[in-house]
Amino acid sequence: MRRSLGRATGFLLGALVFSASPSRGDEKEKAASAPAPPRGDAVAIEHFEKEVRPILVNRCQECHGGTKQKGGLRLDSRGALISGGNSGPAIVPGKPGESILVDAINHGELFQMPPKSKLPAREIEVLTTWVQNGAHWGYEATAPQAGAKVATPDLNSDKPSEMVKQRAGFWSFQPVRDVEPPPVQGEASTWARNGIDQFILDGLQRQKLQPAAEASRSALIRRLSFDLTGVPPTPSEIDRFLADPSPDAYEKVVERLLASPRYGEAWGRHWLDLARYADTAGHEFDYETLSAFRYRDYVIRALNADLPYSSFITEQLAGDLLEKPRRHPTAGTNESILGTGFFWLGEGSHSPVDVREEEMRRVDNQIDVFSKTFLGLTVGCARCHDHKFDPITARDYYALAGYLRSSRFQQAFLDGPDRIAPLAQKLNHQKESVRDQLLQALPLLPEKQRTELAAILSTDEGGADWGQAPPQSADAGANPNPASATGPIVFETFDAPSFDTWRITGDAFGAGPTREGAFLLEAIPRTPTTADWRIRPVARGLAHSGLLGNDFEGVLRSRAFTIERRYIHMLASGRHGRINIVVDRFDKNRDPIYGGLTISVNAEDPHELKWITRDVSMWSGHSAYFELADGSSADYSGGQTRRNPGDGFLAVDEIVFSDQATPPAAPAKSGRTPVPLGPVLSALEQARSPLLAGINAALSDYQTAGAGIPEPTYGLAIADGSPEDERVLIRGNHKNPGGPVPRRLLEVLGGREAPRPESGSGRLELARQLTDPKNPLVARVMVNRLWQHHFGVGLVKSADDFGAMGQKPSHPELLDWLARQFVARGWSLKAIHRLMVTSSTYRMKSVLNPEAERIDPTNMYLHRMNVKRLEGEVIRDAIVFLSTGLNESMYGPSVKVHLTSFMEGRGRPSGSGPLDGDRRRSIYLGVRRNFLNPMLLAFDTPSPFSTMGRRNVSNVPAQALTLLNDPLVLTQARLWAERIAREPASGSAERVDRLYRGAFGRPPTPAEAEASLAFLAHRERAQSENPGAGDASNSNPNDRTLAAWADLCHVLINVKEFIYVE
Amino acid sequence: MYCRRFIDRPVSRREMLARCANGFGGLALTALLRDPAYGALLGEAEAAPEGAAAAASPAVSYAMAKPHFPARAKSVIFLYMDGGPSHMDTFDPKPRLDREHGQPIKMKVQPTQFNDVGNVLKSPWPFKKHGQSGIPVSSLFPNVARHVDELAIIRSMVSNFSEHTNANYFLHTGSLGSECHDLPGFVVLNGGLIPPGGLDCFGNGFLPASYQGSIFKPGTQAVANIAPPDASSQDPSKRDLLRTLDRGVLARLGQHDSLESAIGNYELAYRMQAAVPDLMDLSGESRATLDLYGIDDPYPPTQIYARQCLIARRLVERGVRFIELTCPNVGGDRWDQHGDLKGGHERNAKAVDWPIAGLLEDLKSRGLLESTLVFWGGEFGRTPMAQGSNGRDHNPFGFTVWLAGGGIKGGTIHGATDDYGYHAVENKVEIHDLHATMLHLLGIDHKRLTYRFGGRDMRLTDVHGELVTGILA
Repeated sequence: MRRSLGRATGFLLGALVFSASPSRGDEKEKAASAPAPPRGDAVAIEHFEKEVRPILVNRCQECHGGTKQKGGLRLDSRGALISGGNSGPAIVPGKPGESILVDAINHGELFQMPPKSKLPAREIEVLTTWVQNGAHWGYEATAPQAGAKVATPDLNSDKPSEMVKQRAGFWSFQPVRDVEPPPVQGEASTWARNGIDQFILDGLQRQKLQPAAEASRSALIRRLSFDLTGVPPTPSEIDRFLADPSPDAYEKVVERLLASPRYGEAWGRHWLDLARYADTAGHEFDYETLSAFRYRDYVIRALNADLPYSSFITEQLAGDLLEKPRRHPTAGTNESILGTGFFWLGEGSHSPVDVREEEMRRVDNQIDVFSKTFLGLTVGCARCHDHKFDPITARDYYALAGYLRSSRFQQAFLDGPDRIAPLAQKLNHQKESVRDQLLQALPLLPEKQRTELAAILSTDEGGADWGQAPPQSADAGANPNPASATGPIVFETFDAPSFDTWRITGDAFGAGPTREGAFLLEAIPRTPTTADWRIRPVARGLAHSGLLGNDFEGVLRSRAFTIERRYIHMLASGRHGRINIVVDRFDKNRDPIYGGLTISVNAEDPHELKWITRDVSMWSGHSAYFELADGSSADYSGGQTRRNPGDGFLAVDEIVFSDQATPPAAPAKSGRTPVPLGPVLSALEQARSPLLAGINAALSDYQTAGAGIPEPTYGLAIADGSPEDERVLIRGNHKNPGGPVPRRLLEVLGGREAPRPESGSGRLELARQLTDPKNPLVARVMVNRLWQHHFGVGLVKSADDFGAMGQKPSHPELLDWLARQFVARGWSLKAIHRLMVTSSTYRMKSVLNPEAERIDPTNMYLHRMNVKRLEGEVIRDAIVFLSTGLNESMYGPSVKVHLTSFMEGRGRPSGSGPLDGDRRRSIYLGVRRNFLNPMLLAFDTPSPFSTMGRRNVSNVPAQALTLLNDPLVLTQARLWAERIAREPASGSAERVDRLYRGAFGRPPTPAEAEASLAFLAHRERAQSENPGAGDASNSNPNDRTLAAWADLCHVLINVKEFIYVE
Repeated sequence: MYCRRFIDRPVSRREMLARCANGFGGLALTALLRDPAYGALLGEAEAAPEGAAAAASPAVSYAMAKPHFPARAKSVIFLYMDGGPSHMDTFDPKPRLDREHGQPIKMKVQPTQFNDVGNVLKSPWPFKKHGQSGIPVSSLFPNVARHVDELAIIRSMVSNFSEHTNANYFLHTGSLGSECHDLPGFVVLNGGLIPPGGLDCFGNGFLPASYQGSIFKPGTQAVANIAPPDASSQDPSKRDLLRTLDRGVLARLGQHDSLESAIGNYELAYRMQAAVPDLMDLSGESRATLDLYGIDDPYPPTQIYARQCLIARRLVERGVRFIELTCPNVGGDRWDQHGDLKGGHERNAKAVDWPIAGLLEDLKSRGLLESTLVFWGGEFGRTPMAQGSNGRDHNPFGFTVWLAGGGIKGGTIHGATDDYGYHAVENKVEIHDLHATMLHLLGIDHKRLTYRFGGRDMRLTDVHGELVTGILA
C-alpha cells in the first residue's frame, strides 16, 4: 500500500491532463498571431457546427471548457485551441501531424484522449480532416478569452513566485529568533537547572501545572543509558551511580555515556531512519547496493567523533568535492566522501521499460529524502505542481533535481594517498629504470634486438606520466556534437596529451593516454622467484589501465552526451575490462533490456584492439556517459550484484557514433609483437656488461612490488558529472519537458538570490547555503529530532514536516533558543544532548498525576516525563545484552539476514544468517528491502522507502507473539538463565534480584520477588511431576531447575517494563 | 458471531471510547483503518484536528461513525494471478490473432520489458461460449467457465507499470481492517510464490503497522510465532505470573494508555494462538466439501491451491476482511510466460481452475457469495505478439480481470481491447478505478478515506479513481 504513496507521483503521470509536448514560448507567440481563419465560408461553418462542434462539446469540453481547464487547456474557441495549454498549441491548422489534439485522440504517446475510451473511428476522422482543412470555426456570440488559464502558473517563467511571497510568512520560514529563557519566579525557580527548564516551567506555570518530581536514580540511569546508547545499564554501573555521593554524579554518567562508542551506534540508527538505509535496492531481485555498509559505519564514526552537524551535512551533499577531505583515523581512507552515499540508499528497479522515468523516480526519492531530512519539508509534493500548502514551487523541485542531474553514482576509491598511489609511482619508476638501462644497453645488443627494442623504447615524449593529473577542464559538460550533421561523430580518440574532460578515479589509468614509447613489462613466471621477461609495445593514444600490470584498478568517466546516432563503436581491448554506457544515470545495466549497455571486454587476445558496436537507437535523445572500468563497477547479471574483477586491464582507443552498423576502418595500431628479454639479457651477460645486474635488479623489484598491490577500498558515493540544469517536467511528466531551471536552493530560502554554481554540479555551494546559520530550518529541524528522541515527542510533533501540513511547535521560543544554542556551540550534537539530558525537565518522573492529566492530557506541556516504548532494535539488543552480552565489534559488512520460512520470494539470499545475528548490535544486521527482519518490523522499524524521522509506535499482536514465541527470544531467555545459574549466588532470592536489576535496573519489590520465587518452585515441581511436558531433558533435576529459570527469564522479557522506559 | 466470543477481555479506557464511537457490535466497516484492536496507535493524535481537546482521546477520531453508504460486501478474496496471465488466452478472445498468426503486428509497438518483439501469436486454446450469458472462456478454465454467469469480466484494464514490482505495489493497494478480533485484518494465504517486490507488497505503506498483511502458510504453523514452542509455554502459571507482574508495573508507573494497550495486546495474542490452529484444521470439513475444492487432486499445486481456497472461505466465515491468495509453485515460473506460453499457462491454470470453481460454488451454496467480493487478476496482461517464438511479454495497456459476488452484476463483460488485444480502447479501467469500486462495494467512499502521511492526507486511491458502475448489480 505504501507504494501508492511512494509512487504517487509516478501515478500522476497518468493524470488525465490534456497538455502536450515541449512547450516553447516562441511557438505560443507564433500561434497567437496566426492568421485568422477564412471567414464566410458557409459550407465550412456548417460542417463545423454540424460535425465538429458536437464532438468538441460532447467529448472534450467537460474537462477543457468554461468550467474546467485541465492542463490549462480549453477547447471552446479556435484561438484557445491554437494557443493551447501548458504544453503548447493543441492544433496547428492544416497540419494534423503536428497537432497534439490529433495525436491525443489517436491515443498517442503523450496523451490518450478522451481518457476512458477512444473516440469512434468516424469522429477521429472528422476532427483530423477538420484540422487538415484549416480548422474553420463557426459562429461565436462572444468569443471566449483565448486560452484563459486561470491560476495556472507559467512553469517556464523565471519571475519570483507570487505564491512563495504570500506563503513565506509561515512560522518555520521566519528567522530563528534570539530569545532569552523567560525568568522564573517562586519556589519552583530553584527547580530550573538550565534554559530548557525555564521555558518548560514558564509554560507549566501558565497552565497552573507543576513539574513532576525527579525520578529515582535507578530510573534515571536506565533512561539515560537507553536514550544515549541504546543499551541498558549494567548492574555495576547502576551500583556505582547509586553510591556516588558527588554533586556531579549524574553529569559523570552523562559524560561516560556520550563518550561510549555505543552512543554512535544508537544515534546512528536514528539517522539511518532518515537516510532510508538498506543494503539492497528492493524491487524484483533486491540487488545488493555494494559497500552500502560503509555509509552506516561513517555515520557511527561521525557521531562518536561529534563531527559538527554543519560539516556532516556538507559531507552528505558534497563530501566528494572537499579540497581536504577528512580521513579515517586509522585506515587513512577518505571519510568525507562516504557521506554522499546518502543519495544512493534508495530503491531502484533493474529493468525499467522507460529509463528516463526510472531516473526521475529515483530523483524524486532523493529530493524527498533530502528535503525531509535536512529541511523538514515535503518538496516532493512539488514534482507535478506547485506545493499545495507550502511556499515551494515546481520550479524549486526541478532546480534541486538539476544538482542530481549533474551528479553520478560511483563506487569511489577511498584509499588515501599513502596506500596504493605510491606503489604505482614506485612501479613506474622501476619500469622507467628498466627502460633507461635497456636504452643504454642498446649498443651492446645484436642487430635484431637493438632495432626491435629501439623502436619500442625510444621516445621523444618520455614514456608514461604517473604524476598528478593535469587539472580537468571545468566545462566538462560541453557537448561537441555537431547539431546538424548526420555523419559519424568522433567522440574520443585519446590522442590529446591528457584525459581532458574524462574524470579519473583509481590508479590504473595513470594521468593521461599512452604516449609514444609506452610498453608493458610482462613476466612469465618460470619458478616462484624467476621469470622470463618480455617487452610488449603499446600504441600511443590509448586509455590503458594495464601499463603497470593488471592489479591496479581505476575508472574513467566521460562527459555527458546526447545519444544522436544509432550506433556506438568502441575500439577496445583488454581482459576483465568493462565499458558501461550509462543512460540517464541508470546503473543496473543487465539483460533483458540494458545488457547491451555493459560491455565485458574480454578478448581472446587481450592486446588486439577490436571494434565493439552497440545499437543504442532505443535511447535516442537520452543523456548518457561512458564508464571505462577496470574493477569498481558492479555486475548485475543473474540475480545478484557482484563487483567486476579488477584483475585485468582495459584499453580503449577510440569511440565513434554513427548511423552505420559497420565500424570505421581500424587503424593499424595493433599487431606489434612483444620482444623477449631473454636474448637481450644473454647478450649482456656475454658482454659482461654491468648493466645486466642493474636491469635484473629493476626487473626483480618490479615483480616484487607488483605482487603486493592491495585491493582498493571502495565506498558508495556521488561524483560530479557534467553540469546540467534539469527541465521543468510539466505535470511531472518526463515526456513533457518545459524549459530548464537553474540549479538552486528553494526560492523561499533565498535560492534565487544565491550565486549560480560556476563549475561542476554546485553541490558544495548548496551545502554552504544549507548550513548558513541564517537558514531558518536546518538547525530547528535537527534540535527537534534530538528533542523527540529524548522526550518522546518533538517540540514540532511532525519531525519531518515543518510545513503547513505539519504541526506547530508546542514551545516555539524554546525551539528557537535550542536552534541558536546549537549553532553557537559549533553545531555540536553532543552539546545539545548534554543540554537536554541534564535539564530538570528530562529528570522528571513519568508517573501519572490525575489532576495534571486533566489539564494536560497529552502531556504537551511536559508536566512529567513521557513513558517511551523501546525501539525494535533496542529491544533485541537488550535481550542479547542480558543473555550473553553483545558482541561489541563495530563496523564492517552487514551480518547476513536470518531467514525464516516466512521470508520467501525473488532475491532471497542463498543462505540464512545466524539466528542471534552473531550477537552484534541490530544496527549491524543486514537490511534487505525484500527480506526485512520480522521481529524489528513488528516493533515498527520502518521499511526503508523514505525519510522516517518519527517512527510509528504501534501495538499489534505480532509484538506479543514475537516476545512469546520467537525462537530468538526463547533461546536468549534460556542463555540468560544459564548465565545467572553460573554466577555464584547465595540463593534463588539473590538470583531473582539479579534478574530484576539486569532487566529493569532495579531490585524487585517484595511482592515481585515473592511471585517469582513461587513461580520457580511451582515450575520445578510441575516438571518433576510431569517430565514429558517440557523439554525432553527435564529428567535431570538441574535441567528442571534451569528450565524453570528460563521460564522466569522469558516472563521477565515479556513484562511491559522490559520494553517501556519510564 | 464466532469471533466475538472472547469479548470479556480487559478493555482500556481508550478502547472503550473507541468502541462506543463505533457503535459497539459495529458495522463491519468501522473496522477499516480505525479498528481499536488493530489501529490503536500509542499516543497518536495525528488524525485528530489540532488542539488538546481533540487529542485527549485520540482513538475517538479514528473511529468512523458509520459507513459512507450501505455495504454490498463484507470480505474480499483476491485471487492474485502472479506474473500476469494472458487475457487473449483466457477471457478475451481475439480472432484477428488467428488470422494474422505469424505476421508482423500492424500497429505501433510500445517498448516492452524484454524488447524481443516477435510476430502475432494466436492463442493455443479454443474459446467456447458458456452459461446463459454466453460469455466466451478459453479451455484453460473449464471449471471457472461453469460459473461465468456470476462473473463480471473487465476486458479493459490498464496499469501504469509494465514491470512486475511496480505493478504489484500498485495493484496491492488497499487493505482493510478486520471484523474478527482473533485474526488479522489482511491475511495472505501463501501458496508458495511471494510476488516480486517481496513482502513489501503486503506492507502497510503509510498506514500503521497494524495493517500489514499477515502471511499464512499452508501447513501446521501457519503464522510466524503463532505456536508456543512447547507445552511448558502454555502452562497457565506463566501467563499468571506475567499478568501479576504487569499489574505491578501499572501500579508503579500509573495507568498509561500505552501500557494498558500493550497488556491487552497479549490477551489478543493468546486468542490468536487458539484461533489460528482452529482455522487451519480442516478435519471438520465434509468429504464433499474437500472434493469440491479438489483437495485430493493428483496434481500437487492444485492440492495446495484447493487448501488455500478452502481456508479463504473459512476466513470469510470468521469475518476477516481481506484475503489474498498467492499462486502455488507449478515449477518454472508463475503466469509470467515470456517463453513456452502453452506449457506455463496450462500448468498455472490447472493449479487454480478447479479450486476457484469450488470456492465460488461453496460460497454460493453457503449464502456467502453475496457478501463476499471475489477478484481474479494479475498485475498486467500479455502482448498479442510473441516474445521470441512462443512466449508473450508484459502488456500493461490492456488486460482482463474479473469479479464475482457481493454487489457484482454477473454475466457481464465490461470494456474492450482493440482487435489484437493490445490496448484497451473502450471504457478503460485503471487500477485506482478498480480499488474505488471495491471500496464502494464495501460501503466506503474512497474519496473520503484518508490518512495523513508525508505532509498530506493520502487517499488509498491517491487522487484518482472512478466507480466502474457497469459491473455493479
